[in-house]
Formats: sequence, structure tokens, C-alpha cells
Amino acid sequence: MTGRLRAALRRAWPVTTLRQAWRFVREWSGDAAYETYRARGGGGSVPLSREEFYLDSLERRYGQPSRCC
Amino acid sequence: MNRILSTVAWLVVALVGAGGLSAIALSRGEPVNGVFFVAGALGTYLVAYRFYSAFIAARVLSLDATRATPAERLDDGRDFVPTNRWVVLGHHFAAIAGPGPLVGPTLAAQFGYLPGTLWLVAGAVLGGCVQDFVILFFSLRRDGRSLGQMARDEVGRRAGLLAMVSVLAIMVILLAVVALVVVNALKHSPWGAFTIAASIPIAMLMGVYMRFLRPGRVLEASGVGFVLLLGAVVGGQWVAHSPEWARVFTLTGPALAIAVIVYGFAASAMPVWLLLAPRDYLSAFIKVGVVLALAAGILLVRPTIHMPSLTRFVDGTGPVFAGTIFPFCFITIACGAVSGFHALISSGTTPKLLTRETDARLVGYGSMLMESFVGVMAMVAACALEPGVYFAINSPAGIVGATAEQAAATISAWGFPLEPATMHALARQVGEETLLNRTGGAPSLAVGMAHIFSNTIGGYRLLGIWYHFAIMFEALFILTVLDAGTRVGRFMVEELLGPRFRRALPRGSWKGTLATSAIIVAAWGYFLFQGVLDPLGGINSLWPLFGIANQILASVALVVATTILLKMGRTRYVWVTLLPMTWLVIVTLTGAWQKTFHPDARIGFLAQARALEQQIADGRVPEAKVADTRHVVFNNRLDAGVTLLFALLVLALLGEAGLEWRRILAGRAPASLTESPYVRTQWAGDAP
Repeated sequence: MTGRLRAALRRAWPVTTLRQAWRFVREWSGDAAYETYRARGGGGSVPLSREEFYLDSLERRYGQPSRCC
Repeated sequence: MNRILSTVAWLVVALVGAGGLSAIALSRGEPVNGVFFVAGALGTYLVAYRFYSAFIAARVLSLDATRATPAERLDDGRDFVPTNRWVVLGHHFAAIAGPGPLVGPTLAAQFGYLPGTLWLVAGAVLGGCVQDFVILFFSLRRDGRSLGQMARDEVGRRAGLLAMVSVLAIMVILLAVVALVVVNALKHSPWGAFTIAASIPIAMLMGVYMRFLRPGRVLEASGVGFVLLLGAVVGGQWVAHSPEWARVFTLTGPALAIAVIVYGFAASAMPVWLLLAPRDYLSAFIKVGVVLALAAGILLVRPTIHMPSLTRFVDGTGPVFAGTIFPFCFITIACGAVSGFHALISSGTTPKLLTRETDARLVGYGSMLMESFVGVMAMVAACALEPGVYFAINSPAGIVGATAEQAAATISAWGFPLEPATMHALARQVGEETLLNRTGGAPSLAVGMAHIFSNTIGGYRLLGIWYHFAIMFEALFILTVLDAGTRVGRFMVEELLGPRFRRALPRGSWKGTLATSAIIVAAWGYFLFQGVLDPLGGINSLWPLFGIANQILASVALVVATTILLKMGRTRYVWVTLLPMTWLVIVTLTGAWQKTFHPDARIGFLAQARALEQQIADGRVPEAKVADTRHVVFNNRLDAGVTLLFALLVLALLGEAGLEWRRILAGRAPASLTESPYVRTQWAGDAP
């Protein structure tokens, strides 16, 4: 597959729509939370590891009302 | 040209909404299709969002797109994260949508489909959405401060304390009533009990996966968990057919109540990553998926509504719960139209994620519209059942009898024809021993949903699978509310017990965790057990208590919102929050008064206590049941006390706020707001 064809496929609307939907699901579910944290420079020069970040985010989320009636 | 097209388009939307509502409101006897409910609700929501929420955003609150939000100013990648507004909408909806909008409308269907549907739509656009929107906005302007903090800062210190006590008291009743719904749905149901029991090790497996194997990989773990859970739903059929295993998983109400209490304690005390969080992920996916599937199912199947628009039970003699249409229809619908609990979410995580101030309209107002739509769909699913079947499932044995023959005779005499064979056949089709007296709303909703789903996929051969899938869906997210609520309740107990307690048993110490978990679980566990032992099915007393508590919290939120609007100098527009607040105060105080003092023993707690005492005194209670009956007498007095406490809390807060309003309006108090200072947003163009 040529590079141009690959680029055209990447820009095709079904592909971009699917990619956007996947991004939405990852952000909504929290799957992408660590990448967002790193991208925003969270933690300064000593960022949390993925595992530390996951545990920390759970403690924060469930320390306040997070699910309703 | 564009303006004309837009006007025509909105006229069409308004006509569709009005047409749908007219069709269901004016129908007398002829069958109505569920599609009219969808059209009426969606048309009204779109018009309300386009015009009313825009009015509130522009005139009342003056949302400012140039003002940096806390997510932008305090961005730390953890709590404060500028997030795409559709993602925040998804987060917020998943957080606010619980069992309330499913169970409340199902129970309120005993009045007929019309009163509940109209309140679901009107209550949401004029009350619930407004509350969620304004509280989200006010919290956004205060760096994401909670409702309690805003009450303290804007109304007064006592108001802050009152709000905190209200929240804790309401949490206890909420947890008890949702636990009762699960118990009533799973008792004597080996298939359902097995599926839900299986969800515990499945969630723990997911927890271990996300903690140790692939930290934070939510989608991978949820995918595995979902497949396993579907396996458990299908496998439950085998359990129900196996004499040995069916015996193990056939549990009585009290046994299930103990199991749920033990589970709640364990889930609250265990590390959050092991059970609570994975169950929550799984439940959020299934919740959103099922809501979308139900909407698609209603449009594809276009079910005929069999329930009349109004039933004879508007007079207060209903078998599902006692009480007249006013105030009990409004109290019973609760979350589907207005939910005070949403104010806690709107002043919790959500304001810390909004990228722009103007996003508050979509997230606050829009997500409550979605919740109201869930309530309308639940109403359609419940009212698509034959009324006789609906009443047979939702009425306690004390009213319709415990056998299909007794129930059919009683319900047919009310004017809703029912053959005993119908109930036997339906129970067989869904793989249950019986569907009689399954109070709480969840089983009848599951039957309604199963009919819609099986008409879409699989036909009647799959009715049992769909029924148990629906039961699993309801029980799963109800138990998530139970886990998460118990944990938050634990922290509230810590706060209320004060610094001395925290010094003696600091947060994180195992003694502190066990002590606070025991206190909160004992509190809701007591009310749960009371509901399980109640001869009238428990829902009759606990659901109205929950509805009153929830609507009182909404009144608290609207009192705070009204105070802030006055301080902002928006006296001209204060009716936007003052009118729903006044309505809710009238409804809840009337409900509280009737539940406490009504002379009818099925409605008034004190009247029931007196009636039972009289029965004991007259020797009409068998000796073996005297002790149990005395317990019921005590419980009724306790419920009366709790109801009065709720009423006093809202009256005290109103008094406190009233004094503040007088000071502001008379110009005697400086209208000082505690808003964060204005900072201009750095995003002139597209925000992330």
C-alpha cells in the first residue's frame, strides 16, 4: 500500500469517525486518564507511575459522591 | 433565509412534542403507542433545551465564555482536567443515572401512565434540569466547591451543617431502599441470585487485572468482565434447573438482606480497586448500553400501552403504595424529574472537568433531560404490560394474596382482568418459580424490558435470558450505588464525629475503617431489614421516605441557588429557582405530614403503629407473632420520627435562608459572593 493511499484511508470519514468514537470511549471510561495526566505534565518533575496514578484516582473518585440514585 | 428555516424547524419540533403529549393526554380507552411518549418527551426536551436553558444561560446566569474555568486555571491532570464537553456529558450522565428513574416511574404507573409521564417531562425541564444546571454553574464559579460548602459560604454556617446532616440522613434511607429493591428482585430467584453472586468474583478478577497485570486498562478489563457476566446470565439458567444448585441459590428475603448487608460492609471496607471500582466500570458500560438499547427497542417494537391513562388508584387506595396522586406521584417519581442527589454530583467532580463555562448548559441541563428520558422509557416498559400482570407483580401478598388464584380474583375485581394461568405461564417463560408479590418495581420493569428486547432479538424463546439480563443490569448498578454510597457515608460519619475521632482512628487505619463502615452499614441495614419484614412489602413505607428525602435535598439545593441569585442581583429572575423550590417544599412537607399523621393506617406511620397496637391489645395477633408486630410498631414510630426530622431540616434551612434573603433585599447585608476572581481564558479558539 502506498503512503498516499494509506494517508487517504486515514482521512476517510468512516476511519476518522471510528477513531473519534474510540477516543471518546477511552476518555469517558478513564482508560486514557494516565496519558492525559502525562500529557498535561501532571506531577511536575516526579510524575506518578501508571499504577500509582490509577490507585490515586480511585481514592479521589470514591472519596466523594460519584454515583447517584 | 436561515432564520426562516430555523423557525420552521423549531415549529415542527414543537408540534411533534405537543402532538405526542396530546395523543397520550387525550386518549380515553383507545390503545396508545409507546412512540407517542418518545415523540412527546423528545420534542419537549429539544424546545426546552433550545429556549429555556438558553434563557437561563444568557439572562439569569450570564455564562461567560471568556472566563477561565477551574479546570483551566487549576489544571493538575488529576482532579482538574479540561475535558471535551461530550466526554463530561457522558461522565455526568453515568454518575447521575441510577435506579431512581427506572424504579420511580414503574411504581407511579399504578396511577395510570399520564400523571407520571407529564411530571417526568414537566418536572425535569422546569425543575430538575434547572437545579442541576444552576448548581453546576455556581460550583464552577467557586472552584468546584460542594453543595454543603456553598450553603455554608452563601447562606450561613448553620445552613452548611444542616445540609451535611440532610445529606447523611438521606444517604442512609437511599441505601436502604435501593438494597430493598435488589432483595425483592432476587428473593426466591436462583437464576438472578447466581448471576449477581457471580458478578462479585468477576469484578474482583477485573480488579486484580487493573491493579497488578495491566494497571488502569479499563476497557480491556471491562471487555473481559462483560463477556464473563453474559456467561453468568446464561449459566444462571442451568443453576435454576439443577435441583442441588437451585437450592443453594434460592434465598429468602431476610437471608438476602443479610447477604447484602455483609456485602455492603465488605465492599466499603475492602480496598477500592478490588471490588468497588471494577464493578462500577462494568455497571457504567452496561447501564449506558442498556439505556441506548431500550430506546432503540421502543422505536423498533413500538409497544402498545395497555395501562389506562388514569386508574382508580389516584384516590390513594393503590396496592403498590398507598397515597393520593398529590403529593405521592411526585414523591414517587423523584429522580426522573427532580433529584436532590444530583446537586452533589453537580458540585463534585463535574465542575472540575469543564473546559468552558458555557459547557455547563449542555452538561447540567442536557444530562438531566437524558435522565428524564430514561424515566419515560421505564414508564413505557411498565405500562406496556397488561395492567393485571403489572399489579400482580408489584402488589404485596398482604393485599392481593400469595397465590395466583387469589391475586387474579382480587385484581380482576378491581377491573383489571387477570387469569391465574397467565401468571403461571409468564413465570415459566422468564424462568422463575413465581412473579407474584415481587414488590419494588425492578421485576415488573425487567418483564417489560424483556418483552421489548425479545421482540427485537430472539423472540419469546429468549424471554428468560432477557428478563435475567434486565435483572442483572438493575441489580448490578444498584449494588454499585450501594458500594459507592456506603464508602462516602463512611467519610461523612468521620466528618460528623469530629477531629477527636479522626485523631483516635485516622482515615486509612483499619480500626477507623471498620468502625465507620459498621456505623453506616448498621444504619441502612436496619432500615433494609425493617423493609424486608414489613407485612406491606417495605416499598410502601421506604420508597415514599426516600422520595421525600430526595426532594428535600433538591429543596436545599434550590434554596442555596435562590440565595446566590439574590446576591448576584438577579432578583428579577429569581423565580427560575424559587418556583420549583416552592413546589418541592409544598410537595415534600405535605408528603411528610401525610406519611406521619394521616389517619389511614396504610399511609400514616403513626396510624399504622396505633392500629397494630390495637390488634395486639384485642388479641387479634397470634401469640407467636406478637414480638414481630411490636417491632413493626416501633419501626413505624421510627419512620415517623425520621420523616419529621427531614421536614424540620428543610424548615430550619428555609428559616435561615429567609433571614438572609430579607437582609439582602432590604439592603442590610452586603451581597458578598464567594466567587473566584475573573481570569480570562487562554483559549480564544478551539478548546481541548
